[in-house]
Amino acid sequence: MAQHKVNYTQDGGLPVALTSIDKIVNWGRSNSIWALTYGLACCGIEMMASGASRFDFDRYGTIFRASPRQADVMIVAGTLTKKHAEFIKRLYDQMTEPRWVISMGSCANTGGMFNTYATVQGCDRIIPVDLYLPGCAPRPETLQYGVMLLQKKIRANSASKAQKPKRLM
Amino acid sequence: MRAYTPKDDVQAKAYYTDRFYVAPQVPKQDVSTDPVFAADLEAISAKFEVKESFIQVENMVIYINAKDIYAVLEFMRDSLEYTQLTEMSAIDWLAKDDTFEIFYQMLSMNKRKRTRIKFFIKNGDAVDSVEKLFRCADWSEREMFDMFGIEANNHPFMKRILMPYDWQGNPLLKTYPLEGDEFAAWYEIDKIYGKEAREAIGPEIRDTARVDRYDSERFARLGYEQPKGTKITGNEEPTVQSYQEEGGVFMVTKFDKDTSKIIDDPQR
Amino acid sequence: MAQIKNRLTPFFENITFDRDDNELVLNFGPQHPSAHGQLRLMLHLQQEQIVKAHPDVGYLHRGMEKMAENMIYNEFMPTTDRMDYIASSSNNYGFALAVEKLIGLEVPRRAKVIRMMLLEINRLMSHLFWLATTALDIGAMTVFLFAFREREYLMDIIEGYCGARLTHAAIRIGGVPLDIQDDFLHQLRTFLNKLPDNIKDYEDLLDSNRIWLMRMEEVGTISKEMALSWGCTGPMLRASGFQWDIRKEEPYELYDEVEFNVPYSDKGDNYARYRVYMQEMRETAKILYQTIAMYEACVKNDQTELMAHAPKYISAPKLDIMTQNYSLMQHFVLVTQGMRPPVGEVYVATESPKGELGFFINSQGGPYPYRLKLRAPSFWHTGILTDLLPGHYIPDVVSIIGTTNIVFGEVDR
Ligand code: SF4
Repeated sequence: MAQHKVNYTQDGGLPVALTSIDKIVNWGRSNSIWALTYGLACCGIEMMASGASRFDFDRYGTIFRASPRQADVMIVAGTLTKKHAEFIKRLYDQMTEPRWVISMGSCANTGGMFNTYATVQGCDRIIPVDLYLPGCAPRPETLQYGVMLLQKKIRANSASKAQKPKRLM
Repeated sequence: MRAYTPKDDVQAKAYYTDRFYVAPQVPKQDVSTDPVFAADLEAISAKFEVKESFIQVENMVIYINAKDIYAVLEFMRDSLEYTQLTEMSAIDWLAKDDTFEIFYQMLSMNKRKRTRIKFFIKNGDAVDSVEKLFRCADWSEREMFDMFGIEANNHPFMKRILMPYDWQGNPLLKTYPLEGDEFAAWYEIDKIYGKEAREAIGPEIRDTARVDRYDSERFARLGYEQPKGTKITGNEEPTVQSYQEEGGVFMVTKFDKDTSKIIDDPQR
Repeated sequence: MAQIKNRLTPFFENITFDRDDNELVLNFGPQHPSAHGQLRLMLHLQQEQIVKAHPDVGYLHRGMEKMAENMIYNEFMPTTDRMDYIASSSNNYGFALAVEKLIGLEVPRRAKVIRMMLLEINRLMSHLFWLATTALDIGAMTVFLFAFREREYLMDIIEGYCGARLTHAAIRIGGVPLDIQDDFLHQLRTFLNKLPDNIKDYEDLLDSNRIWLMRMEEVGTISKEMALSWGCTGPMLRASGFQWDIRKEEPYELYDEVEFNVPYSDKGDNYARYRVYMQEMRETAKILYQTIAMYEACVKNDQTELMAHAPKYISAPKLDIMTQNYSLMQHFVLVTQGMRPPVGEVYVATESPKGELGFFINSQGGPYPYRLKLRAPSFWHTGILTDLLPGHYIPDVVSIIGTTNIVFGEVDR
């Protein structure tokens, strides 16, 4: 059985740590960012690789969810085409607040190398984006760094105040 | 005066060609040099009109009449062992003589030979669907319809396949620019937010080399990023890049390089 | 909280119970974790059974054929990476081979051996990825983690060679840009020595697993006629009873010098495809061992050439460009204007991990291809779902999509 070693001489003799609600909510939020699997193209494979054995996303509390209703962050990994554009909007609308968007790869950022009639030139034309990851394809390390930056961003915001909804326009 | 750009072919052009440049040709052999192809060609030409035939890069190329296509492919499948239709599509010659060239790439697995059947159709004409012979032509013909606007007679479901159903224009025509036309540029905005949002969202930025010197949000100030709306003075502090706040984070330990073990050989 | 306004109407086609024949229309995708990308299926159901399936593709159509018409030949090479992004080098190779056939180039032997190594490593990567995702879709998370671990080792090797994990652009028209790095052979050998054990691990986990067998055996049977009629190639065709492998039948590179078998099965169901994939991994390992020997022979015989010598089409080696005037001029012209292949047409098929990858190029003597058609195997392997799914049950859909091994970069191009 686990031994709980509590030093009663510290912290005023109580087995508790005092903190503010704000901090604890942000701690919870930032360490369990559930991501919506939004692998659209090649970058989606790197996103899968970040979730798999070597890179192990679970360390960050990032677990891929298939449903937008359970997800906090949408990782747009891959080329967003004009035919697909409406679906990203639909799925984004289904996510609950607070929600964040990571745009992964040059295609999602700006259209990337596909400067053609069929690609949306950056997914920020459709939904508001919090974080842009450069690269084609970004390495899994880049995505992990991105998630850590997102955690930092979440911690910097006040959790108790109602968050302003992000707007594209 | 602006340089004249032809309207019937807006694809990239060589900006300089030597005046005396004569393009070499990929060598064509006579069909009789290959006994297997020769036998096939004889069988086909006995029943159908063959306009031209040669061997180019290990493939036999046969030009036939557009109206014969169904019968020729049926004959090849049933009598000549060409069991697979690997590929079919069109080539746009509208700028030259207002025609499309359609090709069907056939494979005979028993003979290990590949043959290309070709014919020309006028702009606006339809081809006969071979979907009844080869199911794969179902999708290929839809793709051809999508990309070139060539319809197939007797096709069960003649609709666009790659582009959305409400798309306008046929992307692979030479008259269609690579970056798309006005309709393509606003397609997703119009559909999702409506035309009135065009102004707020703004046009697409398609110049890959564009750098806005006064843009304080994007990559122009790499390493010296400033928040939106800041007045840029020119002596900004470099941005500190870190993934954790200075004073540490509640209940999260920071990665320490010195106490970590680094593995040299990943496969150990 | 208020949502951002948009004018999208709710999708009533998602689920409709309206008709009197009790048919349910279910929309699957385009964003579904086991749709392998962006496949959208309209399934007409009668209770649990599918009566009609209508695959809708094009959600990843990025206009590659159009891009090819606006790019010089060398410029298009990185774009081919993004077709079948699980095994990028095989696309590079297909394109390079097509252009080489068009201009009639002969590639030096050492480059050929390196190319073969890259191709086979890519085949292994692709098959491992296939196993991982299919197993994950059916619920075998362990296999997913195992297969990805092995795949990472291969990625390391490739990354050492070309610097990229996923989008390699490792092959040039006329050869390969670099010799392999120092520990390439060592790493590869270590990997190959462990591979049989690894494959055995996967098979131990899967072969007699009841859930796996239920989703695999007698599910998604493709008959011979159907496979031919839908233009199936690669493992899909081989699992349906044809021993047809382009590496064997129309050998390119040095495939006529290596010994390997072409595994096939005449069952045509999911399980047959799974067996074909597993056997192919073993054959690939066999080929890789032989290419290592071939490479060492090249080193011994002092064959150091990596690029074909054709000053009209291919830049000279870097050393010449830096030291010789004519080479520099040639390089400048080739980079700014691009090579001009002869007027003509070529269709070249190669055996990519997914099937027959063909490039049809119509050149009019200019620096840009007049028409380039990509023949990607997955396109028809998606099409076959129209005829394959009816009669099956909902849970089988995912396993059938899994074993067809479709990649959407390739389907929609
Ligand atoms: S950024 Fe590159 S790797 Fe990522 S989806 Fe686009 S083309 Fe593929």
